[in-house]
Amino acid sequence: MERAVYPLAAMVGQQQLRQGLLLAAVNPAMGGILLRGEKGTAKSTMVRALAALLPEIEVVRGCGNACSPQPNEDRCPECRRRFPALEAATQRTRLVELPLNATEDRVAGGINFPRSLRTGRAVFAPGLLARAHRGLLYVDEVNLLDDHIVDLILDAAASGENRIEREGISYRHPARFVLVGTMNPEEGELRPQLLDRFGLCLEIRGCDDPEQRVTLMERREFFDRDPAGFLAGYRQESDRLARQLDRARTLLAEVRVMARLRGFIGELCRENNVAGHRADLVMEQAARAFAALEGVTEVSIDHVRAVAPMVLLHRQRDAQPPPPPPQDEQRSDRQPEDTPSEEDREQRDESQPEETSAPQTQPPQDAPPQPSPPADRTESGENGESDDTSQQSEPELPQETQSPPTAGRDDQLFQIGSTFRVKPLSAAKDRMVRRGSGRRSRSRIAQKKGRYVKSCQRPGEDLALDATLRAAAPFQRQRAESGGGLAVRLREQDLRTKIREKRIGNLLLFVVDASGSMGARGRMAASKGAVMSLLLDAYQKRDRVAMVTFRRHGATVNLPPTSSVDLAGRLLAEMPVGGRTPLSAGLVKSHEQVRNYLIKNPTAQPIVIFITDGKSNVSLGEDKPVEESLRLADALARDRRLRTVVVDTEEAGVVTFGLARRLAGAMAAQYFKIDDLKAQSLVDIVRGQHP
Amino acid sequence: MNNRPIYPFTAIVGQDAMKLALMLNVVNPGLSGVLIRGEKGTAKSTAVRALADILPDIQVFGDDPYQLDPDGEFGIYQEIRRTLRGESAPASPPETVLRKVRVVELPVGATEDRVVGTLDLEHALKKGEKRVEPGILAQAHRNILYVDEVNLLDDHVVDVLLDSAAMGVNTIEREGVSFSHPARFTLVGTMNPEEGELRPQLLDRFGLCVTIEGIRSAEDRVAIMERRAAFDLDAKDFAARWQAESATLADRLLTARALYPAVEADRPLLFEIARTCLEVGVDGHRGDIIMLKTAKTLAALDGRTEVAAADIHTAADLALPHRVRRQPLMAIADNVQTLRAGAAARLH
Repeated sequence: MERAVYPLAAMVGQQQLRQGLLLAAVNPAMGGILLRGEKGTAKSTMVRALAALLPEIEVVRGCGNACSPQPNEDRCPECRRRFPALEAATQRTRLVELPLNATEDRVAGGINFPRSLRTGRAVFAPGLLARAHRGLLYVDEVNLLDDHIVDLILDAAASGENRIEREGISYRHPARFVLVGTMNPEEGELRPQLLDRFGLCLEIRGCDDPEQRVTLMERREFFDRDPAGFLAGYRQESDRLARQLDRARTLLAEVRVMARLRGFIGELCRENNVAGHRADLVMEQAARAFAALEGVTEVSIDHVRAVAPMVLLHRQRDAQPPPPPPQDEQRSDRQPEDTPSEEDREQRDESQPEETSAPQTQPPQDAPPQPSPPADRTESGENGESDDTSQQSEPELPQETQSPPTAGRDDQLFQIGSTFRVKPLSAAKDRMVRRGSGRRSRSRIAQKKGRYVKSCQRPGEDLALDATLRAAAPFQRQRAESGGGLAVRLREQDLRTKIREKRIGNLLLFVVDASGSMGARGRMAASKGAVMSLLLDAYQKRDRVAMVTFRRHGATVNLPPTSSVDLAGRLLAEMPVGGRTPLSAGLVKSHEQVRNYLIKNPTAQPIVIFITDGKSNVSLGEDKPVEESLRLADALARDRRLRTVVVDTEEAGVVTFGLARRLAGAMAAQYFKIDDLKAQSLVDIVRGQHP
Repeated sequence: MNNRPIYPFTAIVGQDAMKLALMLNVVNPGLSGVLIRGEKGTAKSTAVRALADILPDIQVFGDDPYQLDPDGEFGIYQEIRRTLRGESAPASPPETVLRKVRVVELPVGATEDRVVGTLDLEHALKKGEKRVEPGILAQAHRNILYVDEVNLLDDHVVDVLLDSAAMGVNTIEREGVSFSHPARFTLVGTMNPEEGELRPQLLDRFGLCVTIEGIRSAEDRVAIMERRAAFDLDAKDFAARWQAESATLADRLLTARALYPAVEADRPLLFEIARTCLEVGVDGHRGDIIMLKTAKTLAALDGRTEVAAADIHTAADLALPHRVRRQPLMAIADNVQTLRAGAAARLH
């Protein structure tokens, strides 16, 4: 099913993207390229166009994996066995697209079932990595793939070969390909380890020039209407590009880097706080590719400068927080000493090469600076409620003056504080089999997705051949009489199915303390910021969320379990604060919610997150409020199906009560200060795990 | 069984945006589908079924689960036969039949296997031969795929769905099988935004998006009830009464299809499109391209070969609301024109 491909030569704008792809194609050794950016910016189109430009390659005739006929090149075992003669043939460079639904077998290779049965020996069925050998491997939305699949791909890309050691197969074959991944950072980040392994990284945006946009539309229309004619019109330019690419690939081997340039590269990487040495190596390779594209055999300082942004973009520490929602201005009066460091970071960002500050991933910190609040303003008093008129143009966030009429005199509405990337929270692994998707906790899974961990004798469609054959093996001799033309004779009782494991989403129940004590000194804004950060994380991990708030005399369910994280975000923005702290009621209500949810979804693993300072002062019964809440917390903890997290909002100061910590202790919950939730540095993570 | 007439498209009261979006997609499947956002009971599925009913019949091979087009896809038919059954492909095309355009529904609980198609492994193990069970995407080829509550589907199912819709090809990549067949369909998705949003990446892949709500005018509500009652009382008679209008509409759609390739848009209008997208703040370029196609289809539907300024405005309302750049967790825009006015006001 051949389809016409929009030519690279006819692309409008996106010079950088074009350059990056060409570099990756010239020198696959630098580990491929990752394209980050908004949707609809011709990422896929460009990659397909690149594949169409690549020259035909010489392969061993008959070999399905496109092994090279050069005698000194590594070849796949199948090819070595079947085609010792090394007869050469030519074929187009392949573009292999990795579908999101691909399983591990399909990517790395697995067993060819029908042939294994007919021949009676395990026949290897090559996967997509084998197909991509000496071609292009395109992984769209690489951040949505299961981590273990991404690992597999990056391993192969880095080592140039694919090794399979599972399901009773042991096999290795060469897999050298140009890796191109795309992702939209809004949908969740790649783990830093994985990010680092992509050689280059580019931030892609649409172009803002109307002229260019019009040209783009015109060309696209022309192409859709008459692909052949369109291609013919760009034939000459395409051929020129193809020749340039071909020459550069041949030239690459001769391109040298002078020693003093290596020093410069090292310097550049150090200046940018890059972890490890991969950046240095990649930068050298990329600069060589750049020189080869220019047709010269000596890398110059300009070549290094040209490729440096693409090499450093994803390796600078702290560079890419997820795009958080608008920031409030309370923060500025909360911790004035916080501001300089914030600015430091901004300045550092700005001092980076231009590409790193593409607006898409910029946090709103670089929104116009907030006016500094008048000195006499306080948030804690009764009169603090109406002076905070928002400077934001967000229609969604109601301004404080628009408090609902039902709200009492002491009610306040706080905007959402600054958000941050939260560190991973997940449910404990157990043996329960679940359905679902998402990206939070590892679980056994009842779908044909995820990693094959072991097999069992259980009816199902997801058969595990290795286990099935092992089960059938002892009976082969006695079943031989019954015949059937197959090398292996199977009976119903031999069939084994796979047990798979993958990450799925959880229910996150937010229990938010909305009492007056939370309103003190902008603390609520910070707390809302923390909840919002958790919500963004929930969105990216595809969790379900629910929200309970407690204030005055009771707790209310603001949001029953839903997958609409959006709704939770809106409710959070509108949540009023004020009154006393009925923590016990909050505990009871949240348990009620979780219990009901568990009745409907017995295999669910809810995570209950309390955001409170723990200063309970309204009790349900006769007991003292604090004692009662601790007792209830202990009762809650006896339900082993749920996990609890306490986010302490109490500010560090001279006098601290540490009540939230006691609450966490009673529930055996994970305990965080708001700042500890931030997944920023290694130090933070270590501290978080040993509270 | 299915002799009961379908409620006529032309007899549906109100919901003009939805009806228009559906008609546009039928005229030009290149618009890559429509997403209907709104509450229950607003004639969504009735409209889709009704529209399918007035489309001209399509020709298919008698026993072909992949709905291939005898006119141009016989090569693929042979190829599929060869790969799946290992048999030498028939040299001459088998008998063809005329069939109505179907509305293929994707149930909410649909698994990926069911959508994409799957390999019957047990069969493979016991008999040593491949057997592929074609999925819903195979059924949907050249038909209308109606996905109710698309936001409740598993993310990866929506991904495959939209991938196929965009590429026109479905690929089964599972457990050592790799097999492709064409899947070009008009995609209609519905969702109730209260139950969760679609990811922006997925939203963007729907060409058009309309938001509908129940009709507020008492008069129209009465009209709906009356017509429905008349239809329930005697469906045949009711359909017959609307026959003339249905025929006119069918004609209009066919004419528009034929006319579409000849429609031209002036350069100033293209600038208007680009400016609109920039001002409203649309990610990427898919918005521009779809807007242009929509405007041209609108002109064709109107029997013109020149795009007019009004077409651009209508196109903006249909093609942009779900593409406007927004922060995560924000509601999608419901009125493009106000947004634009707002953006203009901020500039001046």
